[in-house]
Amino acid sequence: MTTLVKPRTLFISLSLLCVLAIWLSLALGPVSLPLIDTLRAALRLIGLPIAPDGLEQAELILGQIRLPRTLLGLAVGGVLALSGVAMQGLFRNPLADPGLVGVSSGAALGAAIAIVGGSAFGGLPESFGPYLLSICAFLGGLGVTALVYRLGRRNGQTNVATMLLAGIALTALAGSAVGLFTYLADDATLRTLTFWNLGSLNGASYSRLWPLLLVTAGVALWLPRRAKALNALLLGESEAGHLGINVEGLKRELVFCTALGVGAAVAAAGMIGFVGLVVPHLVRLLAGPDHRVLLPASVLAGASLLLFADLVARLALAPAELPIGIVTAFIGAPFFLFLLIRRPA
Amino acid sequence: MRLRTRVVALCVGLLASHQAAAAELPQRWVSAGGAVSEWVSALGGEAKLVGVDTTSQHPESLKALPSIGYQRQLSAEGILSLRPQILVGTEEMGPPPVLSQIRNAGVQVELFSAQPDVAALQGNLQHLGQLLGAEDQASQALKVYQQQLDQQKVRITEAQLKQKAPGVLLLIGNAGGKPLIAGKDTAADWLLQRAGGHNLATHTGYKPFSNESLASLNPEVLVFADRALTGDAARAALFKENPILSSTRAAKDGRVLELDPTLLVGGLGPRLPEALKKLSDGFYPGATGQ
Repeated sequence: MTTLVKPRTLFISLSLLCVLAIWLSLALGPVSLPLIDTLRAALRLIGLPIAPDGLEQAELILGQIRLPRTLLGLAVGGVLALSGVAMQGLFRNPLADPGLVGVSSGAALGAAIAIVGGSAFGGLPESFGPYLLSICAFLGGLGVTALVYRLGRRNGQTNVATMLLAGIALTALAGSAVGLFTYLADDATLRTLTFWNLGSLNGASYSRLWPLLLVTAGVALWLPRRAKALNALLLGESEAGHLGINVEGLKRELVFCTALGVGAAVAAAGMIGFVGLVVPHLVRLLAGPDHRVLLPASVLAGASLLLFADLVARLALAPAELPIGIVTAFIGAPFFLFLLIRRPA
Repeated sequence: MRLRTRVVALCVGLLASHQAAAAELPQRWVSAGGAVSEWVSALGGEAKLVGVDTTSQHPESLKALPSIGYQRQLSAEGILSLRPQILVGTEEMGPPPVLSQIRNAGVQVELFSAQPDVAALQGNLQHLGQLLGAEDQASQALKVYQQQLDQQKVRITEAQLKQKAPGVLLLIGNAGGKPLIAGKDTAADWLLQRAGGHNLATHTGYKPFSNESLASLNPEVLVFADRALTGDAARAALFKENPILSSTRAAKDGRVLELDPTLLVGGLGPRLPEALKKLSDGFYPGATGQ
């Protein structure tokens, strides 16, 4: 298959794009800081000895608001895109997205339990309360995915088709449970639930960031090591087996990485659709299906897309803010269509 | 001569200290929460507001201010870009990490109770009065409010001597969709009780109704709390769509009342006594206001 761009060009341009996204994400916001202040505050944050006069506000906004938010965006975008590649590789189907193995619906169920039933867990220790939603979402995603995986296994073999159908069934089941919680919810919790389903990078703080950064780094370092195996899997399961790939082990790793990555991303930022489905597609349209390129390039592309979407989310209605889930699809989908139409026949 | 300099010095000193006290009060306010914003305006602080959230709909003039979004989904940087000195809102305001970011930026964050009871209101008004430098106005407002509520209570007791409390249902909902009925443990239920109505709904929260149960409840009065259901045309359309609704006693007798839905969020607001009076006038026609 011919590709639009050479891998080297792709990596260079995506890296530049990502750096640009990071810079804009740090430099722009509802509070307009002079560029020079942003620069000086950034240098101070790195630890360079720069006079702090008149920098308090810039430093605070950069260090406490924009930097954690940017890191969160990078991690969420990267890990969602990676999970998308893993799922599309596993199901050998470009329509697959991380939701297929139930991680998103499981996380939504966990979140609904935490939001609607939160007050019922009255006796929780004070310091645990703020993290209840994240923990429930993460565990929900992990739990439902584990169940889907378990249902897909028979006689020590994982049947991908069974897993897919089990995923659909459990997604429907979790969906109806979320519906029940929606019915039980009062007005205020209902709105919280709705907003959670649209995702947001708002209110990012370092304490919530570290677990996600660790997971993302782990997944981003681990999955590219399986690039060749994923390439072999494209030929078919038995073919990959004949090529000496441990197909069962590979499937387990892919499902585990997806559950872990998407679970952590959703726990930190709520549901953000579209990135996991379309970013791998975008990269494939540009550079072909070789996973050695696809995996790392998707991380960069996903992270950049999410940062740009977040810029729109926080600037479009300032001082109010749009949920990012609205924006990712709103700018991503037309761009995807554009590439689809322009694609060489 | 000496005395004069002393007097001048004293005057200057007094003036300066007075100004210093005034300067310590926050001058740029952002308010999240409908009732809180209304009270800020009622206590003469509207000129100090530089931004409000989407639940702050009254007085009308607040809609011209920059909107900081929904009170539970505030954005730290967005609010900081308005350079406020204080952010006020109810305990529904959030999310918590954003509030702590705003606090860290040196903005005073003050939370008020959203509980619909007079004790909470008293605390809220005192606190607001201090922050606005309008303690007297605040205590005056509270007194008037208390009186109005007391009068309301008297009015209801008197009316109920002559007439049984009517069975009421309160409907909220979005345009065109099926309306929801307010049950127990809702602000709407609280309001209906204070207005002397007997809420026929026995469920908790706001739930969609089944036609059958509606027919069996057969309310004497219907109250619509919906921005989309104001006006006779909209109501006629709703009745046309729900024949059961139009076969109720309330619809036949034309006892259909309206309630501003913004009264149902964020605690006791300044327009509440007025709204209660209007409701009870509708509940007890001829029995009140004499």
